[in-house]
Amino acid sequence: MAATPDLDLFRGTLDLFILKALSWGPMHGLAVLRWIEQGSRNSLQIEEGALYPALHRMEQKGWLESDWGLTDASRRARFYRLTHTGRRQLTAQLSRWERYTDAVSLILRAEPAR
Amino acid sequence: MSHPNRDDDRMWARIRRVFRLPSSPRRMNAEVDEELRFHLEGRIEELMASEGLNRSAAEAEARRRFGDFGQYRREAREIDQATHDQRERMHARESLARESRRAVRTLLRSPGFSFITVVTLALGIGAATAIFTLLDAVVLRPLPYANADRLVSLSSPVPLMKGQTRWGLARHQMFYILREGRTFENLAVYNTSEVTLLGAGDLRPERVRSVSTSASLFDVLGFVPQHGRVILKEENSARRPAVAVLGHGLWQRRYGSDPGVVGRTINIEGLSLTVVGVLPPRADLPDLKVDLWVPAFVDSTTNWNNHTWSAIGRLKPGFTAADAERDVAPLTQRLPEAYPDVYGKDFVKNTGFRTEIVPLRDAVVGDMVTRALWTLFGAVGLVLLIAGANVANLFLVRMDARRRDVAVRTALGAGRGHLATQYLAEGLILAGVAGVLALAFAQGLLRLLLALAPSELPRLSEVHLGAPSVAFAVGIVVLAGLMFGMLPLLAARLDLAMLREGGRGLTTSRRRMNVRRLLVATQMALAVVLLASAALMLRTFGNLRAVQPGFDPERVLTLTVALPRARFGGQTDRSSDFHQQLAMRLAQLPGVRDVGMTDRLPLVSGDLCIGITLEGPTPESARGVCPPSTRVSPGYFEAIGTRVEGRTITWSGMNARDGSVVVSRAFADAHWPTESAIGKRVRFNGTTPPWYTVVGVAEDVRSLGVDRPPSQLVYFPLREIPGSPLWELDTSMELVLRTTAGDPLTLANAVSRIITELEPEAAVVNPRTMDSILARSIARQSFTMVLLLISATIAMLLSAVGIYGVISYIVAQRRGEIGVRVALGASVREVTGMVLRQSLGLAVAGLVVGVLAALATTRFLRTLLFGVEPGDPLTLVLVPGVLLVVALLASYVPARRAARVDPVEALRG
Repeated sequence: MAATPDLDLFRGTLDLFILKALSWGPMHGLAVLRWIEQGSRNSLQIEEGALYPALHRMEQKGWLESDWGLTDASRRARFYRLTHTGRRQLTAQLSRWERYTDAVSLILRAEPAR
Repeated sequence: MSHPNRDDDRMWARIRRVFRLPSSPRRMNAEVDEELRFHLEGRIEELMASEGLNRSAAEAEARRRFGDFGQYRREAREIDQATHDQRERMHARESLARESRRAVRTLLRSPGFSFITVVTLALGIGAATAIFTLLDAVVLRPLPYANADRLVSLSSPVPLMKGQTRWGLARHQMFYILREGRTFENLAVYNTSEVTLLGAGDLRPERVRSVSTSASLFDVLGFVPQHGRVILKEENSARRPAVAVLGHGLWQRRYGSDPGVVGRTINIEGLSLTVVGVLPPRADLPDLKVDLWVPAFVDSTTNWNNHTWSAIGRLKPGFTAADAERDVAPLTQRLPEAYPDVYGKDFVKNTGFRTEIVPLRDAVVGDMVTRALWTLFGAVGLVLLIAGANVANLFLVRMDARRRDVAVRTALGAGRGHLATQYLAEGLILAGVAGVLALAFAQGLLRLLLALAPSELPRLSEVHLGAPSVAFAVGIVVLAGLMFGMLPLLAARLDLAMLREGGRGLTTSRRRMNVRRLLVATQMALAVVLLASAALMLRTFGNLRAVQPGFDPERVLTLTVALPRARFGGQTDRSSDFHQQLAMRLAQLPGVRDVGMTDRLPLVSGDLCIGITLEGPTPESARGVCPPSTRVSPGYFEAIGTRVEGRTITWSGMNARDGSVVVSRAFADAHWPTESAIGKRVRFNGTTPPWYTVVGVAEDVRSLGVDRPPSQLVYFPLREIPGSPLWELDTSMELVLRTTAGDPLTLANAVSRIITELEPEAAVVNPRTMDSILARSIARQSFTMVLLLISATIAMLLSAVGIYGVISYIVAQRRGEIGVRVALGASVREVTGMVLRQSLGLAVAGLVVGVLAALATTRFLRTLLFGVEPGDPLTLVLVPGVLLVVALLASYVPARRAARVDPVEALRG
């Protein structure tokens, strides 16, 4: 099991991962998870079950919508896709994330003044 | 986004086509399970394939990676449930808003319909709410006391005493009942009076309502003082009161709500009282605002045969007034044994004396008032029904007109739910708007009612449009809204049933037409009941106005003059001198024709029975009699306009103590039926001669009310004969002035100025005219009459509108047929006649039912009627006659319209 990351950061990041994953098209939960795993080359492991409350909560917020469909293997699965609000949310969160990482790296790379 | 949305949508559409969104909570839970299982299953297969694990190992690994399955499942379910609820609410709100908007638009498109509906309903609901408010405040609501349901009123009927019906309690009865009875928790006796609170410093003399009471009254009524204390039991042993408790109103008005008034001294007609306490607001007697409470002389020594006290008791929990009466009855029977010093042995046998105990509320409100208010409530209930029938009719007409609209919307896929929402919204919106108007109307009506209301109507101060009234109105509004909203749906179901049976539209409309005829006939019937009731009250009122009261009420001013008790109390000669001086001064006032005084005004004071003895060999029963008696000054009969045969009392005669008395015609006829009363002699019981001599016989006066038989009155002079004293004269007298022209009230100021000049400590109050006193005495009947007239008028108008609507509709429906008739040569008269016959049939059916209903219901009015019987034939002929004319007039317009139908157009249409 992966070490439990800071929960808030983790949850926010998980939301961002989900939004990003779904920006490629409708997916079921397991596919979202695989996408995250592949994207991070398995370096980022999360407790898989946590994905589902996150998905449902985002659906409640109106970022996602879900419906039942068939997988390529003709299995019944619950698919999620971004709504219009969801896309806007993704853009907003991405830019926030970038500002944050920029700031962090600026600080971390700063050389002490001589 | 890198991925094109269109692909997304296509894919989504393919997915969606397969399944639908979940709805029920159970399905939602099942779906969460299925989703999570899908995840685990996918993982297990993956692990088996990629890492070569067997199934159980793969499952264990998958579950490990998943984390707490139960926890995540619960979370997801909860979120879904919340999402579901949120969406449902939003959906309902949206749908309601949409249908309401549609309803408003539709209603605005037919302003005529909306207007008439709203006004009709507002009239009906408003009238009903106003009367309900009155009924609630006066009859339904408990009295404003703690343990109000356990409070009872005690009195003593004396059926065997001539000319009297009821006494109060004697003071010792209070102790006796509390000692011997087992149903009373506490009991109080009290008397009320008006006294003058003398001026002090800047404060003017003021007439105040005072209650002289046993200390127990405060406990019985549950009064806790706001400042200071209430009266103590010990203070009831003083012959004259030394302390007083202020009522809240007087405390605010006169002492500016100053708590420091406790401990101060006030002066009541020369008697100094120390204020010991102040009562909180609304601490009053059941039907009297009290300014001042003083201790009465009520202790173990006051065992006198003086049954003049009002009494209120509080029962122990669990006992009713009837229980208490049963408890006290044997005690009352034994009263002469218990108090042999007070009563003769045969006291109970001779008087029929017993103790009646009724709930305080019944004693205050009274059977008549209760009945009158319920009658009025019934009347406005009928108005409401008529209004409802009219509105129902309007809705039915409108529905016929909208059938196409409904059909189209249904065809376009509007569900029953949507239609239902819209109709209900329409009904509720109309009823709601009507409700708002109704409350405004009720408020206005209530103000009018309170202005008109008889002063004897109790608890009027408690009447206001409060929460119960609003709840009542809202209740009717919701009910009406739902009913009228459902109507189209019921009719639609009827339509549907007809279609299924393969029936044609005509059948449906005929059936609906019958419903409408029925509604109109019912309206007519209800209108008959209302109009008949109003007519009976109108005749009652006319009869009451036609009664000769025994005085001439026109241009007569009366005022109460209260002389200071300290100098005038018990001083008959001094007050008589004052009154003579006053009479002389007032007689010179321009505009004054006659001046007189009396201690008891007819229709105001009630009758006070005084035991007298007639001289000479008279029948056994008449030797000692107790006629209602009054003291009058010379000039009184001229001033009030009561004709006297023989002569009246004169100043010179009275001052010479000639002992002149005047008796009423009824008294003379009762006691000296065969000979002239003039010259006969009487005296006060218990005195010895000299006698008073009858010098005149006065015209009969209905002193208790114009609907009551004349009293057998004896008029004694103000000044007594020495050696033959009469009862002690009160220091407060009624001044009666006959004026020459104009409104007598304009003289009131000049008169009180003269009185104050003569006696600065005199209080002058209650200026009023005899006309207004007479009007007030029949206020109950006129009040009922006015309200019934208003109700009946509304009912008649609404019925006319109803019948007009139905006949118009029939004419419109039969346009084609009428066109044919006209084409075939039917004359205007024939067509008009045909339509009128239609409406005649409807009206007559309703009227017949109405007359029967009126016969059955008007008996509830019996106690309010005077000089006319409930089933009065004239009324029951005239009223339907009037309504028939109204019905024919209302249908005349549509009938003429029918006759003018252009056959060409009618047939083409």
